[in-house]
Amino acid sequence: MMDGQTLMLVVAGTTSVAPGLRRVHLLAADGARLPPAAAGAHITVSLPTSSLSGRLRNSYTLVTADPERGYELIVRRADRSRGGSQHIHEALSIGDVIEATVPHNLFALHSQAKKHLLIGGGIGVTPLLAFLARLRETKALFELHQIASPAETGVFTALLAPAAGERIHVHAGRAGLDLPALLAAQPLGTHVYVCGPAGLMDGVDTCAAALGWPASHVHREDFGAAGGEPFKLTLARSGIALDVAGDQTMLEAIEAAGVDTPSLCRGGACGVCMLPVLDGEPEHRDHFLSPAERAAGCHIMPCVSRSRSATLVLDI
Amino acid sequence: MTSQPRYAQLAPFASARAHLLVSDHPHLADLVFAPGHGVADFAERWIVVSHALVMPKPFGGPGEQQFRSPSHLLALLRHRLAAETMGLRLYAVGSEPFIWDAARIGHEAGMGREEMQLYACGRPERRVSCVHCRTVTPHVTTTLVTCDGCGVTLTVRDHFSRMHNTWMGVQCDAEVPGELPAIEDLSA
Repeated sequence: MMDGQTLMLVVAGTTSVAPGLRRVHLLAADGARLPPAAAGAHITVSLPTSSLSGRLRNSYTLVTADPERGYELIVRRADRSRGGSQHIHEALSIGDVIEATVPHNLFALHSQAKKHLLIGGGIGVTPLLAFLARLRETKALFELHQIASPAETGVFTALLAPAAGERIHVHAGRAGLDLPALLAAQPLGTHVYVCGPAGLMDGVDTCAAALGWPASHVHREDFGAAGGEPFKLTLARSGIALDVAGDQTMLEAIEAAGVDTPSLCRGGACGVCMLPVLDGEPEHRDHFLSPAERAAGCHIMPCVSRSRSATLVLDI
Repeated sequence: MTSQPRYAQLAPFASARAHLLVSDHPHLADLVFAPGHGVADFAERWIVVSHALVMPKPFGGPGEQQFRSPSHLLALLRHRLAAETMGLRLYAVGSEPFIWDAARIGHEAGMGREEMQLYACGRPERRVSCVHCRTVTPHVTTTLVTCDGCGVTLTVRDHFSRMHNTWMGVQCDAEVPGELPAIEDLSA
């Protein structure tokens, strides 16, 4: 079950931005107006996949979201694709209809910020592109740092299209960005937004905390952690025992077993999919539970978290 | 209906790059600080002292700086915060009008509530905003006060506006002109 309304979207066009990067333009299948979405929102799309019995659901940030002109995504072809990005790159064609959630926003710009500091790593550029359009429109003060592999700096520079006088920097590799110096130089009232690999986001979190930034000024967008070791899962109330494969999330495994459970962001941020744990040791990878809640080990976010013990028992 | 601010004793934020404490009281009593904390926990202190002899420096660094008036202190606070970077925490202690003036300057510089602590102490003193003519009457210490603007007798209600840094004053004898309750001291 996906929370809230679902949308039927038709692929109006796809373009290759660069090798491994594809832009997808979506319109409402019935031609109606789409729900509006603020910068930073995402949709969860349901895609057919050959490797799993069911369908695969992936969340993608909306690079642009206009009720009439439609939604745009930019999708990177993942090296270890579970089938979602592979499908978008290889099979998705104009006229295909896909099911998606209405947009949800867990990574919004802070309206009271004096300055917005945007940091992106790789494909983490997608919410930054949405932010950039909004910040240009509102003439807000911002600074953007994008980290790209040396081969892709040109691609990201073209995507961000810095105008004269704008503080937009594309760095070749993470070594090009002096994070402590950047965060130490930010004026009062700055909010930092980071989207990219977990290492980069953790680095920003740690560095900002060390410099005395309050946590409320640090925002991060998680794509959801990659897979891990396979483990066994027991759904006590449903009386089902199942295996969670290494490249599969617990939530996907539960859905594949035909058990209906609510979910929303599928990235460990929103907390909608939280399930009670009866036995086993969870490996928490979400950003919803507090350290105390994690330590208690009573709840788990099946969309990203996994199990440290060979078997995990959930009360569902 | 009451909306009275309540204040927690000051304790330095654990994760901060720098601490700045401002006060319009020359001497800070121990009860201003949470148990186990004292004035020494706040590296940089700006204090109003009526006979300050040395010109304060807004970027003077740790230690105590003395200012001759709250307005002088607040003007330099604005100047200082405009040049500050993230990681600073602001603590304001003293009379209620002063601490909320400081909070407003912090807010305008981009600081959130999670970056400031306020503590009101000393004899209660309120700025009262007349709901009839919008005049603000300062230094009010009693439950009834004559409005500086329209001259009516106002009841000072326990309703505080963070935005205006004033308490609400409503005409006391609107129903029966001249019929006034007993006047009381706000500290009572």
